[in-house]
Amino acid sequence: MDAKTIIESLTREFPEAVSKPEIESEIRIWAYVDWAKTKEVCQFLKDSLQFDHLSNLSGVDYPKRNEMEVVYHIASYAHPVVLMLKAVLSRADPKVESVVPVYWNANWYERETYELYGIVFENHPDLRALLLPEEMLGEWPLRKDYEGFPNKTARNLV
Amino acid sequence: MEEFVGSDEMILHLGPQHPMQPGPFRLNLKLKGETVVDADLEIGFIHKGIEKILENRTYLQGITIVDRICYLVALSNEECFVGCVEKLAGIEVPERSQYIRVIMGELTRIQSHLLGMGEFGEFIGFVSMFMYTIKEREEILSLIDMVTGARITHAYLRFGGVREDLPEGFKEKALPVLNSLKKTIDDYEEMFHTDSIYRERTVGVGTLTADSAKALGVSGPALRATGVDFDIRKAEPYLVYNDLDFKVCTETAGDIFARIQVRLNEIRESIYILEQCLDQIPSGPLFPENTPYGRRTPVMRVPAGEVFHRVEDPRGEMGMYMISDGSDKPYRVKVRGPFFPTLQALPPLIIGTTVADVAAISGSMDGCTSEADR
Amino acid sequence: MGEVKSKKRSGAFGEAPNDTIPGVLTTTSGAICNFLKKTKAQDLINWGRKNSLWFMTQPMGCCGVEMIAMGCAHYDTDRFGIIPRNSPRQADVMLISGYVTKKYLPALKRLWEQMPAPKWVICFGDCSISGGPFYESYSTVQNIEELFPVDVFVPGCPPRPEAMLQGFVELQNKIKAKKDRGTEY
Repeated sequence: MDAKTIIESLTREFPEAVSKPEIESEIRIWAYVDWAKTKEVCQFLKDSLQFDHLSNLSGVDYPKRNEMEVVYHIASYAHPVVLMLKAVLSRADPKVESVVPVYWNANWYERETYELYGIVFENHPDLRALLLPEEMLGEWPLRKDYEGFPNKTARNLV
Repeated sequence: MEEFVGSDEMILHLGPQHPMQPGPFRLNLKLKGETVVDADLEIGFIHKGIEKILENRTYLQGITIVDRICYLVALSNEECFVGCVEKLAGIEVPERSQYIRVIMGELTRIQSHLLGMGEFGEFIGFVSMFMYTIKEREEILSLIDMVTGARITHAYLRFGGVREDLPEGFKEKALPVLNSLKKTIDDYEEMFHTDSIYRERTVGVGTLTADSAKALGVSGPALRATGVDFDIRKAEPYLVYNDLDFKVCTETAGDIFARIQVRLNEIRESIYILEQCLDQIPSGPLFPENTPYGRRTPVMRVPAGEVFHRVEDPRGEMGMYMISDGSDKPYRVKVRGPFFPTLQALPPLIIGTTVADVAAISGSMDGCTSEADR
Repeated sequence: MGEVKSKKRSGAFGEAPNDTIPGVLTTTSGAICNFLKKTKAQDLINWGRKNSLWFMTQPMGCCGVEMIAMGCAHYDTDRFGIIPRNSPRQADVMLISGYVTKKYLPALKRLWEQMPAPKWVICFGDCSISGGPFYESYSTVQNIEELFPVDVFVPGCPPRPEAMLQGFVELQNKIKAKKDRGTEY
């Protein structure tokens, strides 16, 4: 299965939810996805296009555009193409549909993105802090406007 | 995990400091007699915010930070980070540097597998194994030390090349070490195959099927032990792995015994790759000529763009997603460590087993908590 | 270390707590310790202590790997009586071998409290001394020496096993000179 076929079948199946597809190289393709439709799109990718491996899920903060992005890197054990799906969220109320029902290992990635960026994953089975202590929840340290970095408490610096 | 405890159940907390752990994490087990009926993991005890720090460091400074994502495989972290920048900036690495990187990467793989097997031996009560493998690992570390000047955190790779050339007489020193390691690996294999206690602790314990391993997102030796020949070095070749002859080691059983067998075979394959590299390595410059890239690239601005680069870490698929906005610092670096999903898959694996097998199963995954926490 | 309850002193081992049996002197172990500290016998005790520094294996960072390497076959610290122990209740020395995070600090304090006295702390590596590469991080705790009575700092990122051995030798010298912070003199 090559990059062109994947893009074609994806845009044919979801003409509205998937936009701006782009072929970067033979093994890397991009597309934007509607935040409310991520689960359906991922289900289609897994069932019909052999994208059975969620390689990565990350959040990105763009304060200048007043937007946040959730980026899914979906790979396959059968073919070498990696699809980068991006969901654009509003910075005031970032929320996106959870893909845990499709990809089981998205669970921790989503919890991590939630506690570091404050992006809410709707219908996630257990959305709570993973890496940070409970009292740091709500600080969203990886946002660009986080004020706790750099931490200036170290005294023994040379 | 449900907080409710029945009359014949109890909750056992393992960690954050426990001898079966490669680093601090907490495993909460709900037991019914000796059987685990529910399990829950807490991580983040050594979360140090590497992704935030990388956003505030220049690209060259970032190399020293990514060394410390997983301190057992610092060179493969560096390979991933440097590969991202090279893809973004379009830097061609000279062939000699590529060979040196493969040599260092495979040495890293050998020492990581040796430590992983030794730790696993300790977890199941086979402490002599730990002493054997650590002794061999020291030999490999001294080879790495000879080239990079450090044992664990190297800061050796540079954009477009490597910091230092191989020292004089490296091949002559490396070959005897590798030859003796081959014999030792045969000894280990014989030991594993004949030791009845070892077989009883490992055969048929913690079994993963190919489908469940894929569904859980497990990668690396744990996935290959189920028969899936997924290796980034073959699936998405980087450096000169295309020119080298090696095979992807797989087993079919999917249990602990198969995982350790895959690691043993991978050490053999790595030795084979190393021998090829030491024979074939061409002479030439370390850095691309007529470019500003060198040992010290003081101010480096990387063109805006996004890249997702994957390398084969000893623990599995290591990836980094880097966004550059054209300045001298990365806008965002997301580290996709191989142990993060593997650790996540631990609770489904241990539910239904006995407490004694928990340490064996968790040890067979060859963990590095630092990389899961970042 | 135990304490002598009464301020009045009679005899070498302090006052008998309950003077019911005439002519018999009873005392507490704490009083004996306090007495011994002033004598040459403490030198003998310290000689014993400095030659059996069992450390708690608790890999927290890169230095944890070097700590493992130090305790194993090649560097073999057993010949100095420096033996890795898994349980804090059997250990004398706590090695802070890496960055202490906000989440891990309560557990680390608890481990420290679980260790029986006399006990010592060695800071391994730059992270526990000054924050190391993570001195700006949002999740790490800085200035560890304010929280634990640290006797020896071993710089390096990570220090080599030889440097770690040297750290233990420094601690032994401190104990021999009765200048360590683990015992009250």
